[in-house]
Amino acid sequence: MLRPPPRFAAWLLKTFSHPDTSEEVQGDLLELYAYWVETVGQRSADWRYSLSALKLLRPLAQRKTNEQYTTPFFLSPVMLRNYLKIAFRNLSRNKSYATINVSGLALGMTCAILIFTLVSYHLSFDNFHANADRIYRFVTEQHRETVHYSRSVPGPLGKSFRNDYTFGEKVARVATYDDVLITLESGKDVQKFKEDEGVAFTETDFFDIFNYPLLKGDKATVLTQPNTAILTERIARKYFGNTNPINKTFRVDNKVSFRVTGILKDLPINTDRRTEIYVSYVTLKQFDDWLASDDAWGGITSAMQCYVKLRPGVSPARVESLLPAYVKKYRAKSKNVHVYKLQPLADLHFDARYGGAMTKTNLLVLGLIGLFLMITACVNFVNLATAQALNRAKEVGVRKVLGSIRGQLFWQFISETGLITITAVVLAIVLSLLTLPYMNEWFQSQIRINLLTDWRLTLFILAATFFVIFFSGSYPGLIIARFQPVLALKGKLSQQNIGGFNIRRSLIVTQFAISQMLIIGVIVIANQMRYAKQSDLGFNKDAVVMLPIATGSNPQTMHTLTDRFSKVSGVKNVSLCRAAPSSSSNWTTSPTYDNRAEPENFNVNVRAADDHYVPMFELDLVAGRNIFPADSVKEFLVNEMFAKKLNLKSPDELLGKMVSLNGGRLKGPIVGIIRDFHDLSFHQAINAVCIGSDMNNYDYYAVKIDLANTQQTLAGLNKTWNEMHPDQVYDYEFLDEQIAEFYETESLMLKLIQAFAAMAIFIGCLGLYGLVSFMASQKTKEIGIRKVLGSTTGQIIWIFAKEFSRLILIAFIVAAPVAWYVMNAWLKNFQFQISIGADVFAIAIAGTFLIAFVTVGYQATKAALMNPIKSLRSE
Amino acid sequence: MKRAFLGEFEEVVLLTVAILDEGAYGVNITQEIEQKTGRAVGFSTVHTTLQRLEEKGFLSSQMGGATAERGGRRKRFFTVTSAGRRALQEVKQVRTELWNALPPQTLQLMGG
Repeated sequence: MLRPPPRFAAWLLKTFSHPDTSEEVQGDLLELYAYWVETVGQRSADWRYSLSALKLLRPLAQRKTNEQYTTPFFLSPVMLRNYLKIAFRNLSRNKSYATINVSGLALGMTCAILIFTLVSYHLSFDNFHANADRIYRFVTEQHRETVHYSRSVPGPLGKSFRNDYTFGEKVARVATYDDVLITLESGKDVQKFKEDEGVAFTETDFFDIFNYPLLKGDKATVLTQPNTAILTERIARKYFGNTNPINKTFRVDNKVSFRVTGILKDLPINTDRRTEIYVSYVTLKQFDDWLASDDAWGGITSAMQCYVKLRPGVSPARVESLLPAYVKKYRAKSKNVHVYKLQPLADLHFDARYGGAMTKTNLLVLGLIGLFLMITACVNFVNLATAQALNRAKEVGVRKVLGSIRGQLFWQFISETGLITITAVVLAIVLSLLTLPYMNEWFQSQIRINLLTDWRLTLFILAATFFVIFFSGSYPGLIIARFQPVLALKGKLSQQNIGGFNIRRSLIVTQFAISQMLIIGVIVIANQMRYAKQSDLGFNKDAVVMLPIATGSNPQTMHTLTDRFSKVSGVKNVSLCRAAPSSSSNWTTSPTYDNRAEPENFNVNVRAADDHYVPMFELDLVAGRNIFPADSVKEFLVNEMFAKKLNLKSPDELLGKMVSLNGGRLKGPIVGIIRDFHDLSFHQAINAVCIGSDMNNYDYYAVKIDLANTQQTLAGLNKTWNEMHPDQVYDYEFLDEQIAEFYETESLMLKLIQAFAAMAIFIGCLGLYGLVSFMASQKTKEIGIRKVLGSTTGQIIWIFAKEFSRLILIAFIVAAPVAWYVMNAWLKNFQFQISIGADVFAIAIAGTFLIAFVTVGYQATKAALMNPIKSLRSE
Repeated sequence: MKRAFLGEFEEVVLLTVAILDEGAYGVNITQEIEQKTGRAVGFSTVHTTLQRLEEKGFLSSQMGGATAERGGRRKRFFTVTSAGRRALQEVKQVRTELWNALPPQTLQLMGG
């Protein structure tokens, strides 16, 4: 039996030879192969077969086309010039069409560019550290009834890990204290600075793990000595101007002095560690004795973070498996709730559980919205262009008669689209540069757009431009190229011939579905926000000013200042407390109830406060009495939830029972029960709460003022403050603003979606407007005849309205379930949520109708009011 | 009409098709040329030339019936059209005229 010819060559021949002759060529060659095998041998036959196959591949063996009438290459410079010329003429003739298209596309592109910069900014966080895949942060999961995630670990963990194991190439502990007071003294001149980002007590390995280069000073020694510090250039300039900052000194919180030994390059904008003052870790002893000690295993404070760069090849799972031993060894007496984990550097920015700034879901939502807007803009374009196509019929007919082929017409149309798109893109770049500052303000970011250095953005814009050109240009292009020249020239083409009426309809439906989804989203988020901010929190949050207690205050100064504050005119009441009833700063601990042996398996939120707290915030005492004035814990108030968590039948059973907190350090009987109030944001369920007086744990003066003359009262408070604390910065915040901060992310989302919904609606309306004006001009004669036969204006407007109402209704039917599903998922973020009622959907569809009718109305009315004589006279 | 122009190889192929009469197709044309002229011709060259001749209108072709020996693939049979025959005649006539115009002494030198 004969061997078959070389398989690859046979495949080439089969796949790539000219389809017209493929069959006989394959057959012929097969026959010849057999003949060659007999005459010249196997090898030569293989060789000849392959060679012939290769030569017969399509570009090498194509039939020569008839060259009698030459068609210029569709992209030849002559043709391109012609395309552009025609495009310009067309656009300048249809100015409104061009404007609508350009502005729609420009808006869509602006959003896309802004969203792209925002998303890539977030994705670029901390991407500049060497061996980033080996950098981890130690974090803690606390397993109680629910799992609580903390980005901190007990202070000594880092040290023990470094000493006990060799897995970590570098281990660095960082204790960061926010909102510190920096004092500079040069002779008599004292300067005070409040630093929000605070100071970080840092082990030197930190700068081997992270890539924050040192400009001045020796990396090996800068932070080894006690009381040494390094500053970023920016801070150094702020404190010391242009003088050499090295060896200058400053004080932190009027407690510890530092000498500057090095200067750090300014931090890049895309890093989460914003601290700009680093001080040596050995100094922590002088600042916080407990945290610095080697047996601070008892609890975790958010200040302490620990980073590690693992040796190559060490898996984080292996390290994590070693950590439970520490809990057994050092926390033998506590309930076994701590689980230490390693969090990869790449997750730091995105994991909201550990305080990440931006979740990937949110980025995805943004990206989708950007894509939606782009699609809406393209859809608009396709719609208008297809509608306009009829006006181009004669031109296309003439071109075809003169020898244009389909490809050419198609490319002509694409080049026209290209012209519009490129104008829009230039406009979009300008627009995004103009709107960037606002976006930065919203996101508190410092994003910059620089097309020359940011090749990703440039690439994105180019890609988006091409996408838009082809996505929106190809469909109308195909339609135009398909025209029958005879029909086109006779003027016998109608909308039916163009077809795609249903496609245009479905495009409008898509647009309105997207807009309506966004509108529903806006309404739901806004309602939830209003609910969270305005509903009864269980206490009165109005007219309360929160003043942070000055650092280094002792009970004496606190009492004095409280007294003096209450004498300021306009002040109604003053309470010393750790935090407002509802606060993001929480002190949670497992309580021991009624002298039981074990702590309970739930957390209480401890609100250390004096006896003014309950009356001032109008907390509702349901049983027992308020606490008496005291400087340390003597007695407690608890909320009803405390009873529920203990599974007691009536809260009254609690009265008189002992509670001890923080492993027995704070102990006292329960003297009163208060009604549950929201101690956390609406995202979380209400906790069990304990209120007790403890001078050591107060952070704020809560001052209730008379809102009638706020300015005077605030000035009075300021004056009193300065008399008491000349060396401290006066700083205050209204409680309702503090509470509003709980919902910062949501407010931001709301603002964004509002903006994007507005955009989507606007773009949609542009398209609708364009389409209606086109429809009106198409129907001129029909309307004329109808009017002659007795139609009223209303009936004629209804012709237009009918069409669009139907489309909007269909869009609504698509949008409503999707939006309902998505928004329900979003509401799950909240423990206390609104339900999405029919009213939301009613408002959404009514709003859309209103907007659409306003858009359609002008053109429709104009068409309806036209004098039929004018429209019918020509025939 | 444009004057027929035949390249040398085209002439050979066209003639071969004429020789093979009814049964001319890719394979036997290639083999015939090889045997008659003694020169090795590639199949692809023959194929493209056949295509070209057909385009010029000197050949016409039709597909034959299915065959068993070549994987069931049909053959494309070529026949010389009248234009083809005329072109061959013309070429031959030109040659003859040229030969006839040759001076007798030159003819003798060439060994004729």
